Amino acid sequence: MSSASPATGIRRALSGVGAAGPGRPPRQTGSKRPSRGALTMLVLVAPSVILLVLINGYPLLYAASQSLHKGSLIITGDFVGVRNYTDVLTRPAFWNAARFTLVFTLVGVFGSWLVGMGLALLLRTRIPAGGIFKVLLMLPWVIPIVVSSTAWNWLVATPDSPIPRLARSLGFGELLFLADPTLAMITVCVFKVWVSFPFMMLMTSAALASVDQNVYEAADMDGATRWQTFTRVTLPMISRSTYISWILMTIFCVNDFPTIFLLTGGGPVDATSSLVILAYRTVFQDFQTGPGVAIAFIMTLALVVISTILFRQIRKGETA
Amino acid sequence: MTTLEGGGRRPVVTPAEDAGPAERPRLAARRQPGTRGQWGRFAAILVFTVIALIPIYVTLFLSVRPGTFSSSTSIFTLENFTTVFADTGVLTWLSNSLGVTLATVLISVVVAAPAGYVLSRARSRAVSGYSLLLFIVQSLPIITAIVPLFVLFAKLGLADNLIGIVIVYVGSTMSVATWMMAAYFDSIPRALEEAAWMDGCSVFGSFLRIVLRNSLPGVLSTAIFAFLLAWNDYLVALVFLKSSNVFTLPVGLQSFFQQNATDWGPVMAVSVVMLLPPAIVFAVLNRYFSVGGIGGSLAGR
Amino acid sequence: MNRPIGSINRRAFLGLAAAAVSAPALTACDVSGSSSSAGGGSSDPIKFWDQPWGPTAYNDLGKKITEAYPPAAGSGKATYQVIPWNNFYQTYASAIASGTGPAVSTGGGFQPFQFAAQGAIAYADQMLESWKKDGFYDDFLPGLLETNKTDNGYAGVPWQIDARILWANEKLLEQAGVAAPTDFDSLLAAGRALKKIGVFGFGIGTGAGNNLGSHAMVAMMIMNGGGLFDPDGKTNCVTDRNIESMDFVRQLAREGIIDPASISYTIDNLNAQWSSRKVALGFQAAALQSQAAAVKDELVVNSPLAGPHGDKAALHFVNSIMMYQKTPSQQASEAFVTYYLKNIHQYWDAALVGGVPVLKSIIASEGFTKSPSQVKIVKEYTPISTTYAARGTKLTAGLAAVDGGQALTQFAQTMLQGKTDAKAALTTLQRGIEEAMK
Repeated sequence: MSSASPATGIRRALSGVGAAGPGRPPRQTGSKRPSRGALTMLVLVAPSVILLVLINGYPLLYAASQSLHKGSLIITGDFVGVRNYTDVLTRPAFWNAARFTLVFTLVGVFGSWLVGMGLALLLRTRIPAGGIFKVLLMLPWVIPIVVSSTAWNWLVATPDSPIPRLARSLGFGELLFLADPTLAMITVCVFKVWVSFPFMMLMTSAALASVDQNVYEAADMDGATRWQTFTRVTLPMISRSTYISWILMTIFCVNDFPTIFLLTGGGPVDATSSLVILAYRTVFQDFQTGPGVAIAFIMTLALVVISTILFRQIRKGETA
Repeated sequence: MTTLEGGGRRPVVTPAEDAGPAERPRLAARRQPGTRGQWGRFAAILVFTVIALIPIYVTLFLSVRPGTFSSSTSIFTLENFTTVFADTGVLTWLSNSLGVTLATVLISVVVAAPAGYVLSRARSRAVSGYSLLLFIVQSLPIITAIVPLFVLFAKLGLADNLIGIVIVYVGSTMSVATWMMAAYFDSIPRALEEAAWMDGCSVFGSFLRIVLRNSLPGVLSTAIFAFLLAWNDYLVALVFLKSSNVFTLPVGLQSFFQQNATDWGPVMAVSVVMLLPPAIVFAVLNRYFSVGGIGGSLAGR
Repeated sequence: MNRPIGSINRRAFLGLAAAAVSAPALTACDVSGSSSSAGGGSSDPIKFWDQPWGPTAYNDLGKKITEAYPPAAGSGKATYQVIPWNNFYQTYASAIASGTGPAVSTGGGFQPFQFAAQGAIAYADQMLESWKKDGFYDDFLPGLLETNKTDNGYAGVPWQIDARILWANEKLLEQAGVAAPTDFDSLLAAGRALKKIGVFGFGIGTGAGNNLGSHAMVAMMIMNGGGLFDPDGKTNCVTDRNIESMDFVRQLAREGIIDPASISYTIDNLNAQWSSRKVALGFQAAALQSQAAAVKDELVVNSPLAGPHGDKAALHFVNSIMMYQKTPSQQASEAFVTYYLKNIHQYWDAALVGGVPVLKSIIASEGFTKSPSQVKIVKEYTPISTTYAARGTKLTAGLAAVDGGQALTQFAQTMLQGKTDAKAALTTLQRGIEEAMK
């Protein structure tokens, strides 16, 4: 953190060093306004900080403590230091889960981003009843996960379910969507993309709408093709929003418990066990609270590292 | 910079006529209305939508079929809905869900908007750290957080309580909501605020009158996110809400799941009830995503 | 800049904030639930938490029974709450950890032992002694009360038995031209005949939330005189009897008598398979007839199979009522539990619960004898049934980690995949169970 007080920093910021351009001279209308501005800023941000500390910070500390003890949900238990972590990191189940989490997250983030962006681009053009489509396409995200996982299960679980039957009649043979380990992984990933693309569509749509149309005019005048416009103009202009949505979706995917658990419960012989599923099962099915929370904490640390790196990318892009 | 309005259809306008809300041409930057190929695009999006919504049809379909324990053999029946509304507490659950969700949305916006403003406008290292913190605290999976939160709220007497759960939901939306607001506010140029400051307006005043007033799409995006989080959550509600008079819809839904069987008829009927309010909210608010936004049409970017 | 409007806007903003904060109070008149703890005196209500053991009508009846409880002198009335099955352990654990738990509850089969090991349970020894005096003690089926015995006392009192029964679809067996199986060989023969008419002869599922598959595996082991444990309680899975049973299951899988998709079947998938006549034989709970209502009249309870060496045994889970340390008064808890157990016959009278009763009076009652399947279960399965602890008898908290735990689930799924050698799978299982029981 800055060695000067936050108020100084805020004051400096308010006087013009920032988004609008670094060259502006600071406004000097009296010493009263900057400190009042700084105080206002603190007041504005205070409620959210309080809530963050309470709802997000406290459980984080509690979980850290749980992972260093060998207790249960009720009893704190003995202090065991990092033994839970070493125990967990030497389990093959952990690395299996880590591998699947990676696959699931990559497919989830980029799959939903590509689909969402494609739809957002499509919907920005003139389409009859475009508004209706926009609402309908939000439904996969809106529907409660308990309900959508039931619907998906109904569609693919038994050999007589609609989709396997369709696959059989199309000549694909007997496809066991949830019973075959590889197919189960694919099904779970597709399910996640299905649930998440509306969110990406919303974020991308908003970002695209904010792009200054002058830039498009300029590109058009320079003779850029549609693809060139897209890759060299549009994408860079929405890059900040894109990175933010990637970070958020990564967090959502890594931490996503219901989507996988309700559909496969961790999959045929742990094929679709992601780290969060493993953590849940270790705590609530094997009743090993310490190691289970340690898994969750390792996940958290990994996410923090990734977020920080991506975040620095965003910051770098801004000050450039 | 970024904004978070939903994309909307806008008529073509040359950049010179930008007195009011932004009006932008299509990506193709043609001078004609750009309807060429619209039916092709219509077909593409229709096909995709029809396929993508298959699970939704399944839900609707299953809600009008006889339930697992029903003795009826008809193909189409409304008995699930009549049973659900007559014999269960679904109306209580519905009103609880609506109350909790509305409160969550309002409080989230009220708390996240100023925080997002600070994130957007202030550029000190403290603020930078705060914005990273928003990502970090979001990283702990909710399943590990539920038990400590419950114990904390039980101590505060807010455990089996709708107000307690609203607080948890608002806290859970904080990270994303603040980011969404900040991202949208970034699109409103400081030039406007600085003009206001020159006129003697305070920071809070400029926040309210300039930034917030023109941020309806951003506010709506945040509102929708908070709405869906509070409306659909079941992991937290299951553990926090135990008395049937404070059940929300997701918890009430669980009462049909027996040990070794599920009564799918009522489950699907309640699911349809759960689907309708968000869908209606989307349909109604969709229009407002096109309003506002000063962003790109001003010079100086 | 419209300054007059600006000042209104600020007020409007603050007003909005105030409205937001008070919204819950306005929109939801009933904001707090009735479980917020009361004063702490002995006349506080006795909190009774129950699960959905049947359709919603079951819980309605439970509420009625609870609220009809006439409080003993000096103790409060009883209150009823339904705890959904989803994540129920989390609900109980967090409630107990925060001191807002119930005084009495039903729960998972091993829950009394888990919470007893963590010091949250009030033992029932005194209550049982009082029952010995008034004869209620003898109403329990023999040996059942002992299943709850721990080193420190009785952790709970049984109220129903969750049995694992081999069900058969009579009509389909007839169609395939086979008789009801009586041992492993005839089960295999029946399976092969059923396969010819496109029906699966061993219904099972190990999908999300479905423990029936794990239970069926253990049942097959127990039926052959094996089990997960030695008579003295030590984990011992790699025995000849177990290997024999699991080789048999593997054969069933390889011959296609087990649906290859069953590895991912949820309980509902499985019930649907029964209902659509795709499955003719399988281990299920005692309430299958109501769960697969479409084939209700075709289902019969198959008599227990004899193992290859002539053993006859079956698996069941004893569900108990337990009392907690945190109660307005232990006496009040015990009085309520006594009252409640004397009234649970109403569930069977109204056919709202599918488990096997633990009280002889209920078994003899009119309501129960109306169902031939249930009577057969009590007559043929209950006397030879044993719990997970087979071949020992002592149940422990560690068994909870075995029942729902990853080791057993993975084992069941591995066997269904049919690719792994039985001995290897059992060895992995043993290691997993030893880890879980540590």
